[in-house]
Amino acid sequence: MKGGIDFHTHPVLAREMVALHPELERAAREIFFVGNNFQPLEVMLLEMDLCGIDKAVVVPVDATTSRNATVYTNEQIVEICAMSDRLIGFASVDPRQAGAPEKLEHAVSTLGLRGLKLAPAFQEFSPDDPLAFPVYEKASTLGIPILFHAGLSWQPGAKLKYGHPLRFEDVAATFPELNIVLAHLAWPWVVDAVALALKYPNVYLDTAALYFDNPVDFLRYAMTQQVPLTVFERSLRKQLVFGSDNPRIETKAMAKAVRSLGLSEECLELVFRGNAERLLGGRA
Amino acid sequence: MIIRSRRIEVISRKEFEMIDLTPQVEAFVQECAVADGMVFVMTAHTTSSIVVTEGVECLERDVPLHLERLAPKNPEPGTFGYYHNRLLDFDGRLGFNAGDHLKSILGGVSAMFAIENGAVLKGSRQRVYFVEYDGPLARTIFLQVTGT
Repeated sequence: MKGGIDFHTHPVLAREMVALHPELERAAREIFFVGNNFQPLEVMLLEMDLCGIDKAVVVPVDATTSRNATVYTNEQIVEICAMSDRLIGFASVDPRQAGAPEKLEHAVSTLGLRGLKLAPAFQEFSPDDPLAFPVYEKASTLGIPILFHAGLSWQPGAKLKYGHPLRFEDVAATFPELNIVLAHLAWPWVVDAVALALKYPNVYLDTAALYFDNPVDFLRYAMTQQVPLTVFERSLRKQLVFGSDNPRIETKAMAKAVRSLGLSEECLELVFRGNAERLLGGRA
Repeated sequence: MIIRSRRIEVISRKEFEMIDLTPQVEAFVQECAVADGMVFVMTAHTTSSIVVTEGVECLERDVPLHLERLAPKNPEPGTFGYYHNRLLDFDGRLGFNAGDHLKSILGGVSAMFAIENGAVLKGSRQRVYFVEYDGPLARTIFLQVTGT
């Protein structure tokens, strides 16, 4: 198998970026809410090597309205992507800010970012709120995927109600050409997220789920007990992407968990690479 | 009396790895120009160890692998589990590395050597290692020389 793609990482611990932009230390600690040590970017790449991951999608979050802060700006994502050709940059915009669609267009057309990250619970908007639809329309026109935080968020103040899969149905139905990825299997609503993906071929799920125990045990529970593994293998193998949510879950640990499930090699190839490549327009 | 401290950084490149620190420790002792005293070596991290053993590649594999058998990252289902597998609110993530913390305790976090006539006093086979249980990571090690 060619090297995989980690579709969901936050570069918040990159030491080089904190040295260049000291405000990113506060963003990591107080906004993104992660306590691990800052690390050289080399460490992230070494970890990817260790688990057969070639490339990683790195995402910012624009929480201007809800937190008066960004966890990386789009320009900072461009900056870190310039440090390694193994990083694929996504943009973020705040749907509650005027000009969000135009900002997204600039991020994609001018800055060269390849997708959009939205975290409704953290950004404090409901995914099916019409105020966000111009952003979805722009993403659809630009032909980029949206990676949505879905399900439970650890971040203080991030409400569960904005992460329920059914809040994403209007998005999937209204924009059939727009591919959306519900992160974290939308846990605890894995059944609902699977139902949405079964009904709408433009709905994908990512594997970055860990809410108790350890990645191996948790994923076994979510993907074999909450929903039978055969559903992912037979029905959703083209709509499941590998994502780790690094640094909340190390890429190596999530890769091991996904590989331990018992999915076929054909399915693993799609989950680790093929589906992400397709979402990225056939080029990674 | 001289008391000097230093922090050194190593980058582990594998999940389990033993990194020989002996050259850095000896160089620091030389630099301190202490004739007689002690040098103290301690890891700054709780999922790593400082151990003293023979400097051979086979042991560099055996030591972390045996500790992993004693304190596995993921115990066999139905055997035992770790209370540490829960949300750590101060870290914003789950702790699922209790096995690595336990290996750190079993391996120990520090070593101390006498300094005699300006040289580190150790057996001919002894090397001092940083042991990684959760790499790759950039890791800090504290050194302190005390003496005259």
